[in-house]
Amino acid sequence: MLAALLLAAAVPGAQPYRLLGQGAPDFTLRATSGTNFRLAEYRGRVVVLAFWGSRCGQCGAQLGAVNRAVNTYQSAGLEALAVNVDDDPVAAARFAVAHPVGFPVLLDPGKQVGRAYRVDNLPMLLLVDRGGTIRWAARDYKSDSEAAYLAQVRTLLDE
Amino acid sequence: MKHSSPLPALLLALLAPLAAIAAEPAATETPAATPPAVAAPAAPAAAAGAAATPDTRALDEEIQSIKKDAVDLNRDLFVLEEELLFPANTQVAVFLSMDVGDFFALDTVELRIDDKQVAKHLYTPREAEALLKGGVQRLYLGNLKVGNHEVVALFSGKGPQGQDYTRGATVKFEKSVGAKYLELKISDRQAKHQPEFEIRDWE
Repeated sequence: MLAALLLAAAVPGAQPYRLLGQGAPDFTLRATSGTNFRLAEYRGRVVVLAFWGSRCGQCGAQLGAVNRAVNTYQSAGLEALAVNVDDDPVAAARFAVAHPVGFPVLLDPGKQVGRAYRVDNLPMLLLVDRGGTIRWAARDYKSDSEAAYLAQVRTLLDE
Repeated sequence: MKHSSPLPALLLALLAPLAAIAAEPAATETPAATPPAVAAPAAPAAAAGAAATPDTRALDEEIQSIKKDAVDLNRDLFVLEEELLFPANTQVAVFLSMDVGDFFALDTVELRIDDKQVAKHLYTPREAEALLKGGVQRLYLGNLKVGNHEVVALFSGKGPQGQDYTRGATVKFEKSVGAKYLELKISDRQAKHQPEFEIRDWE
């Protein structure tokens, strides 16, 4: 029992996400395109925040899933921002070129936004509702994760 | 061969005056120009609506009053918080404004006071557009003691030919007792086809 608890405490993503139900911290970051994007400007729309790194094995698959959802639900009010937390912006840009998506890919080399959102595992996916509250979090990505994530997206879009 | 019976039409003709009589009281309550035969079935619903309206209106007025109280309270608390955190005798505020902007597309402003970075802001296209439309942004609000101080502002963006462009502006000022307001102003110098950056006392 104790061993299981210790293991749960040691595995990133095993504990409940602390910011769930709280207001999403606002930020402005520069995208790989050179344009700056601010989260607060998306108020009134459901936003997917996808934190990723270029050395993360599942990040490409997750970004692809988010891209599919945005293509389908953008007209209903879904937006996405991918936030890269690499130290090296060049590696991030290279990864972004290899995995093209139709939404802004933001760079957070100083990791201020990563710290504000308590990113402890990659890939990490957050859903922010139309009022700016973090409503759902996933701190890993498996093959069956997409269905659960899409169900949450639909629920938030219907609100 | 099928014959249509005249009985339903006859019953309808007989019942129509009765329906009109039944509808008369309702018609006096709601002087709408609806035919009595139509008003008759709507009368109970209209009466129910008329009974519910004053209650709903009172509730709505109460909600609006509570909302207004909440907004007033929030404003008072905001003013109180600012007065406590930034007392008038030490308060320093720095504002940013833009004029025209043909020769400079704003991207970042970094503000340093006495060689210490106190603010850095990345501007989205919407924010830059708001500034160009006459908006003024409060970039920094803080406290400074009485004496001499130096403010340095670094502006980054795209220059007249779309190239990366960074310029700085510096001002030394003496802080006396009382609030100090400074303005960072970005404007176009038409004669030189260059942007101009200045820091001046808020007027």
